[in-house]
Amino acid sequence: MNEFMPLTWNDTLYLAPELILAAMFLILIVTDLILPLRTNRALIGWLSLGGLLLSLGFVVWRMIDMNPSGASAEEAAKAGQAISLLGASYRVDDFGNLLKIIFLIGTSLIVLLGLGSTQKDDAVADKAEFYYLLLPAAAGAMIMASSGNLVTLYIGLELLSITTYVLVGLRKRSSLSAEAAFKYVVTGGIASAFVLFGMSYLYGVTGSVSLADFPAALPQAFTDYKALVYVGFFFLIAGFGIKIAAAPFHAWAPDVYQGAPTPISAFLAVIAKGAALAAVFRFLYSSAFFLSGGPGKQAGDDVFFALLVIAAAAMLVGTISALRQKQAKRLLALSGVANAGYLLVPIAISVTIIHSNNFSEFAYYLVAYLLMNVGAFAVVTVIARAAGHEELKGFSGLYYRAPWTAAAMLIFILSLSGLPVTAGFFGKLFILLGAASVKAYWLVAIMAVSTVISYYFYFGIIRQMFMRSNSDEEDEVRVPAVTGVVIWICAAATVALGVLPGPLMKGIDTVFSIQADLFVR
Amino acid sequence: MDQFTQTAWLIPLFPFAAFLLLTALGRSYRRAGVMIGSVGALAALVMSLLVFFERLDPDAVDYSEGFNWITLGDYTLKIGFEVTNLNSLMLIIVTLVSFLVNVYSAGYMKKDERITVFYGYVALFTFAMLGLVLSDNMLVFYIFWELVGVCSFLLVGFWYAKPAARAAAKKAFIVTRIGDAGLLLGIIVLFWYMPGHALDFSSIHNVFSEGQSGAITMSITTSIALLLFMGVIGKSGQFPLHVWLPDAMEGPTPISALIHAATMVAAGVFLLARTFDIFEASAAAMHTVAYFGGFTAIFAAMVALAQNDIKRILAYSTISQLGYMVMAMGLGSMTGGIFHLFTHAFFKALLFLAAGSVIHAVHTQNIHEMGGLGSKMRITAWTFGIGALSLSGIPPFSGFWSKDAILASALDENPFLFVVGLAAAFCTALYMSRLFFIVFMGKSSVRQPREVRESSKSMTIPLLVLAVLSVGAGFVETPWNGWLGSWLTGGGEEVHASAAAIIASIAVGVLGIYVGWLMYGKGSIERGAAAAKAPWLANLLERQYYINEFYDLVIVRSVRGIGKSLAAFDEYVIGGAVRFFGFATVTGGRMLTRMNNGQTQVFGLTAVIGLLVIIAVIVGRRFW
Repeated sequence: MNEFMPLTWNDTLYLAPELILAAMFLILIVTDLILPLRTNRALIGWLSLGGLLLSLGFVVWRMIDMNPSGASAEEAAKAGQAISLLGASYRVDDFGNLLKIIFLIGTSLIVLLGLGSTQKDDAVADKAEFYYLLLPAAAGAMIMASSGNLVTLYIGLELLSITTYVLVGLRKRSSLSAEAAFKYVVTGGIASAFVLFGMSYLYGVTGSVSLADFPAALPQAFTDYKALVYVGFFFLIAGFGIKIAAAPFHAWAPDVYQGAPTPISAFLAVIAKGAALAAVFRFLYSSAFFLSGGPGKQAGDDVFFALLVIAAAAMLVGTISALRQKQAKRLLALSGVANAGYLLVPIAISVTIIHSNNFSEFAYYLVAYLLMNVGAFAVVTVIARAAGHEELKGFSGLYYRAPWTAAAMLIFILSLSGLPVTAGFFGKLFILLGAASVKAYWLVAIMAVSTVISYYFYFGIIRQMFMRSNSDEEDEVRVPAVTGVVIWICAAATVALGVLPGPLMKGIDTVFSIQADLFVR
Repeated sequence: MDQFTQTAWLIPLFPFAAFLLLTALGRSYRRAGVMIGSVGALAALVMSLLVFFERLDPDAVDYSEGFNWITLGDYTLKIGFEVTNLNSLMLIIVTLVSFLVNVYSAGYMKKDERITVFYGYVALFTFAMLGLVLSDNMLVFYIFWELVGVCSFLLVGFWYAKPAARAAAKKAFIVTRIGDAGLLLGIIVLFWYMPGHALDFSSIHNVFSEGQSGAITMSITTSIALLLFMGVIGKSGQFPLHVWLPDAMEGPTPISALIHAATMVAAGVFLLARTFDIFEASAAAMHTVAYFGGFTAIFAAMVALAQNDIKRILAYSTISQLGYMVMAMGLGSMTGGIFHLFTHAFFKALLFLAAGSVIHAVHTQNIHEMGGLGSKMRITAWTFGIGALSLSGIPPFSGFWSKDAILASALDENPFLFVVGLAAAFCTALYMSRLFFIVFMGKSSVRQPREVRESSKSMTIPLLVLAVLSVGAGFVETPWNGWLGSWLTGGGEEVHASAAAIIASIAVGVLGIYVGWLMYGKGSIERGAAAAKAPWLANLLERQYYINEFYDLVIVRSVRGIGKSLAAFDEYVIGGAVRFFGFATVTGGRMLTRMNNGQTQVFGLTAVIGLLVIIAVIVGRRFW
């Protein structure tokens, strides 16, 4: 079943979204070299956006193809079978497709944001690189979401990581950016080391790197080598924990986000984090989850419990460290730590008979998180340009200088703090209800407490915007058109999902089936 | 065809659009603001009429439509609208009175600086009230129920510079909230016990109308009904929560006509009609409703006898008439209750608007400072007279027919309440004739500040329209023509008609007016005669049975006392705890910031230590 079959021409169609990004990447490198220096590099940005949207179109097409409407149950089940390529090392299924859609939309928004802000950022010397390096980064995230064995997973991770190391350091003329890039490389290296170390142990005890072999091999491996299985899992979780920026592995995030160009901070916060979460999701549900049934029940439970502990720690540490934060991007980085905790909850509470829509909870909140976070970072680019710095006090009196931008920021903050009528409210609510339905009340309590603590710094921003009239700063706030588009797409979608959460939640539930799309067999 | 019925959801959106537009435009567009508000109401009125005409078809079936809003597990929360005969009648009442009030206010509020704000609030209220009328389930109903409460609050306190208006707005909001708490509790209990947690009215009808089919026990039914009735008591100004309504007269007079006479206060009666099956399933609840209504009717009518403020007299009259409607509901006569709601909406709106016209002319609300206005304000006087006759129950005015329908069913069901109703009818005729003769006849006792003139056309035309309706609206249901009843209830309700009730009701009406004429018109009975014989009674009535004082002493003071001790608890115990947690969190934040000093080697160390700690926790758990 999992014999290795080389790619055929037909198979390349399944890989089209990734191949398009790769091809576009190569084309744009050459274009950048050929184009005269005078030519505005925004052209490259628009071409990158085109490539991303083309890729998105193929993913959507694939998903529609795999979920025919109006087909009989039998046909639908047949069409819904995951497509397995290269000896099951690469899988095209609804889990991957849904996440790819999220990643591609997110990356597109970030390219737009770059067109609005980085284009005028003098610290970024090579503007074209900013755009075309996002393509392999997005492809890496997509490979992580689609991988069917540990090697592919690792390749996706490194593709994403290495391109983002460069992207973080793109503000060459800023020492902060160089420092951030250096730190990111070192911590990324630590993460990769952890991941590889864990993977090697799992390979050692099961004799396979394929996710499809784990369900059968792991229980046996556990009876033989208890401790080694534990080591493998814990190192993998710790390695991904660094990439996710979950506490206690989050310390790099504020420094790196602060130094990176703001759109790249948003990319790290949303797509890089989402891809690592997707990898954990896919990996655990084809390995540790199957331990629970047999003699390895204890180990399976322990792995999920470890994830719960990390989630709880991330929520508390993220919100508490954000309390005294005065810098906008550092604050958003720490808020991202807390949100990583929320996103880990649906993964960590495991699928049970009474509660099985973990993925839709996860995906819904990821969408909500994408919208509010990209939106908030977009507003930060506007403020930073007007004020000349990224301190929170740049927000003061924003309502009087740019009432519409302040209104949009208000929507993002309400969503971040989980208040209705926003996407963040329902995202948190669904996760909370999921945790409550499996009786993980201590986790519910921690979610509630950290949410309440977070009101303190979120409302601090609102107070700055609406209640402080700034008499000394008379900076004019100019919103570039593309940035405005990004802000209002995010704001409108945040409100729309806050008013009508049903369609998206239901859509994910219809497309996604645990048997066909999550479990790798 | 029922294409208008299917688009009935558009009706509330017209005034809502007007509200948004008015809010966006701001205060400078005064004339345009009036136009926008009126056009919004007119569009809603036209649509409502079209829907209404479709409903006249005897084959018309109830139509409901909605969409799923939120799905939580197995439970789906729906938002939707429903068109039934009852709803379409309410639509007409609300949109018609709202439109006329819009037109009237163009004259009445002309000089007010915030006239566009006023029109915005009125449009928002109309939207909320129409939403309430059209809603197809209890939850949406409740949302709009609260929204009309908010609009009432905003409009009562519209002249917020006056301390009395501020206090009245607060009182109106808080007192009705007491009832609303009961209503919400009732909805929650209903949600809990309904099969499938359904809250829509048609499911409620199905569950409760088949008698006790075992789904919900008798005692639960009674408690649900009584909790819902608490909401009615608050909103419809029934004893003992009626105290807010007279104070609400601090709001502009068109608002008193629209919200506090014709529409919002009738929402409670409408709620009774919507959930009538729940009440009918419990005899105890029906009796409670009937006696509360009857008591309120007589109680408020007596208080109205001794008031001197024209709007307060009308306010107590409204309370008393709402008592009639509630009593009719309690006696099982939904037709009687809704019929009286329908006619009352017109003649009471007429009386308030006419009173507003008087106040606009003489700039006082004290009836003893008026007098002899009949010759100077002919249209106002005539239309007010028509309203007064209608309210007093003199045939052929509309109030007679609806009051007679209630009294006839009372005579059949409960002779005691019939007597109470007759007594209230006598008081009604008496206080209305007192009001009419003092204000419009005789001579002014106080010198008028300036020449009194009839009000402008925009104010008198609504009066005339309402006067025509006050005369004619009663003929939809008469002892020999049960059209309204069979249309509303599908012919399921028996028609009450008795010559005795008709004669008695005419007799007390005429007698009341005659006594009033003797006392205040002809003067052959000394005005103070009754008061002189029983000064304690006059005092009691004038001070409204000292209920406000009683509430202040017993409830407000004791609540304040409890509040103070709670505040102390809050300050020292809870506040202390909060300060402690705040301190601890901030210290924690400071510590974490210090730990995260940006050195990469420190980061690597924390990651490894973190990993070890997690392993220790997980593995240690096994040995613990």
